[in-house]
Amino acid sequence: MSIELVNVGVAQLKIASSPVILRTILGSCVGICIYDRNKKMGGLAHVLLSKATNDSQPEKFAETAIPALIEQLLRQGCKRDFMTAKIAGGASMFKFASQTPLGLIGENNISMTKKILEEKKIPIVGEDTGGSVGRVIDFFLEDGRLKVKAGGHEEYYYKV
Amino acid sequence: MHEHIKERIKTVIANLNALPSMPEVVTRIINMVNDPNVDFKLVAEEISRDQAITTNILKIANSAYFSKGKEIASVEKALVTLGMKEVKDIVVVAATKQVLDKPVIGYDLAKGELWKHNVAVAMLAKKIAIDKKKKNLADLVFTGGIIHDVGKTVLAIYVASTFKDLIQSTVDNQITFAQAEQLLLGFDHQEIGQIILKKWQFPESLQNIVRYHHDADDAPQSDIEAVAIVHVANTICQMAGIGIGGDGLYYELSGKAIEATGLDDSELQHYYGITPELLKMARQIM
Repeated sequence: MSIELVNVGVAQLKIASSPVILRTILGSCVGICIYDRNKKMGGLAHVLLSKATNDSQPEKFAETAIPALIEQLLRQGCKRDFMTAKIAGGASMFKFASQTPLGLIGENNISMTKKILEEKKIPIVGEDTGGSVGRVIDFFLEDGRLKVKAGGHEEYYYKV
Repeated sequence: MHEHIKERIKTVIANLNALPSMPEVVTRIINMVNDPNVDFKLVAEEISRDQAITTNILKIANSAYFSKGKEIASVEKALVTLGMKEVKDIVVVAATKQVLDKPVIGYDLAKGELWKHNVAVAMLAKKIAIDKKKKNLADLVFTGGIIHDVGKTVLAIYVASTFKDLIQSTVDNQITFAQAEQLLLGFDHQEIGQIILKKWQFPESLQNIVRYHHDADDAPQSDIEAVAIVHVANTICQMAGIGIGGDGLYYELSGKAIEATGLDDSELQHYYGITPELLKMARQIM
């Protein structure tokens, strides 16, 4: 039996159950992976920016995508007490003029992600963020592990 | 270090047959567009002589992105309806797909990733040019966006065997990935790209876009605006992770280039924010 691999695009949010693998590719965007270890179900939100300006698509922004992700999981019967989060991405250009806000998008995405997860009381149990690497992440709903491939190097985060 | 690789790359670029090729008709069309006295009919004839390209051209011309709802049944119709510059852009997309739509191993790009990246950069660059009332640059930055990374296809196998050293060099020397390529391999993907465009006899302004898309500050004054637009569009697409590879974001976002485009902070953030919509558009012609 082959395990289904589901690609999550920029500004998309997807939930699935074991043994599906959710994959996304990140630059300055942040991937938020929330897992319910009891139900073996989880979701991945790929956010572009920290907060909305005048755009109405909630999946684009950490501020709105994370609550939406949690909400969808709760609706599927997941319990907040069993949920943990792993986050990845938020890279920045290696060099940029310090007064350029575009250069700070990665950092802002990470801090907003952490703030919202804290507000929602979902503990972060794994983090692979910052730097200037592009990341391909695979979120295995079989056991909640996260594989981060960056710059020809692979790292696993097992804690759930 | 890596002296033997430097020598091998020198041999490869000295041998034109080892570099990607481009149908002659494409070069002729690109250069025709810059000729104010050019005859529409001559262009159509020129294109129609190549059956394979004509089929692809009509397919791309009928995408929503280019056709804007009109049905385009022939090259002549495309020229009349869309204009010569748009048709030139379409020809470039049709012709470069075979060079760019493949896996690029050294940069860790799966099949289609480099192509997606280049198409997205082209579309964003064109949008920026139009939005900033530089319509005269729209087709140039589109074509430049499509081919800006062509050098990666040749340099890839050498990057593959030296990847760890390249990354190490960026960090140790606080230089960009392109500068590390230059240091360790003797050439970066921009220079190799320019050599390929010279082989294809593409115009100098396009060569400059390819050569300076990461080094916008060093671009010749004559092409500074076009180079800057592609530089910014490229950076935004990289940040959004569109076709991002092993070289990641190990590049520089130039403040001078941002200035040359006339984009302010909120505009830059806006373009970054619309990359999902941009990708949807890119898929229409991929």
